[in-house]
Amino acid sequence: MPYFEDIELGDQIGPVERIATDEGVARFCDVWSPPTPNRFTDAQTARESGMTGPIVPGIMAMAMMAQLLTDWAGPDAIRDLDVVFRQPIPHNRPLTLEATITDLRQENGQNLAECDILMLGAQGERHVGGKAVVSLPSRG
Amino acid sequence: MFLDLHCHSVSSDDSRATVEQYVKWVQVLRKRGYVVDGIVLTEHRKFDFDKDYSALADQYGVLILKGSELDTRYGHFLVYGVSEGLTRDIDFSDVRMDARELMRAARQHDAVAIPAHPGRFGIGLTEYIQQGESFPGVDVVELLNGGGRAGENERADELCQQFGYLGIGGSDAHLTSHIATCMTEFRAAIANESQLVDALLSKQFQPVRLEATAGVPSA
Amino acid sequence: MTMELSYDRTLHGKEHRAGPFEITADMIAAVNASLGEQGAAFSSDADAKEQGFRGMIAPPTLCSIFVREVQLPDVGLDFGRTQMHAGQRVQPIAPIYAGDRLTASSHLKDVYAKTGRSGTMVFVVWETTFRNQDGDVVAEVQESFARRE
Repeated sequence: MPYFEDIELGDQIGPVERIATDEGVARFCDVWSPPTPNRFTDAQTARESGMTGPIVPGIMAMAMMAQLLTDWAGPDAIRDLDVVFRQPIPHNRPLTLEATITDLRQENGQNLAECDILMLGAQGERHVGGKAVVSLPSRG
Repeated sequence: MFLDLHCHSVSSDDSRATVEQYVKWVQVLRKRGYVVDGIVLTEHRKFDFDKDYSALADQYGVLILKGSELDTRYGHFLVYGVSEGLTRDIDFSDVRMDARELMRAARQHDAVAIPAHPGRFGIGLTEYIQQGESFPGVDVVELLNGGGRAGENERADELCQQFGYLGIGGSDAHLTSHIATCMTEFRAAIANESQLVDALLSKQFQPVRLEATAGVPSA
Repeated sequence: MTMELSYDRTLHGKEHRAGPFEITADMIAAVNASLGEQGAAFSSDADAKEQGFRGMIAPPTLCSIFVREVQLPDVGLDFGRTQMHAGQRVQPIAPIYAGDRLTASSHLKDVYAKTGRSGTMVFVVWETTFRNQDGDVVAEVQESFARRE
């Protein structure tokens, strides 16, 4: 796990490549249970909403972005994850997750690192962008 | 000098960056050898009369100016030199205003309104020109926009070549690390919004990408 | 030609409560399986205890799957047909443990119009506070939806 003192502005988390498969999305939707048929698992419904195929639910994309941070800083490190869904996310395509440290500060006794966090497509298209704040341990 | 003419702070609904984070990030860019002299906050559909960033500007040595990005029925327009008079004549929150009316009102109030990301699919000026609309008041557009998708800046370039428009550049940053990815290089020294309007009217500027400023002596 | 938004403005200031939603170990396991999540604290009580938790915890954004269970009222927006999830914010405040029973309290935060690549859109923003069975706030969630013409 990284220590607050070892982090500098501009440090990168990732990139990590992920794929949201048909099966993964179906399993996620089993727990989330959105009304069916829906544009996440049903191709016809997706097309009727103007998509070329089924898409990854926003909250699943967000969960993947949270993983990037918990893998880096620990399971309860996230204080804030705030994202904008900019373009529909396709199934079965490589997705790149990465974050860049943009701010370091101490607040209410916590050592906070803020980062920009992105989910990009294979052509660099920005599917999701946002910011996150994680709490890091101190060497002190 | 190099100014990012298009960025959004948390004052805009869809941005997640504070102004302080932007100017801190400018220090990171400077450490990497790039030249960034200032930024112009162009918040969506509003102008922040009450916000004063002069202390931050002094602390970090970054010029911080304020403008607006307004939604119109012909796409988004960047407005520089906003005054209370202009906000009395134009409803900044009206997403269906006529851009030509905005451009006229802006000039009446010593401001300028410039089409943002004109090559943007679905909403750029290119789309409306293709639909037969004409915009005689336009002579400058945002040629380099850091928030575009593949092909959109190229469409802006074609538009400039077709109509002889001059181009500015702006990052359209909504996240801290995207600030200053595209900028405008001015010949004039600019210290406030009024001088920015004069410099835009002088036509002595060009759009640049951040990478092009590496090794350039700072203004 | 200012665009006047027509919606049920009486919803501002009203809280909509729902729950309890039980966070089960099976639910956490199923979400983990869908995401390839292998973090120890999310996997078993024993592994989580080794990391200093009193038991298995839920991944930090898991509570947001319950936002749609709140039966949020129709805002009566007279605009658009297609609705897309436009943004989401989760602020985890305390760990959520397997076995916790969460209640949700939601309110309408904002309704506003803007334009983008897909034309004019109206954004509807809801805020939800999740509490556990002890009444402690465990997470704040904000969701925005864009209605397109």
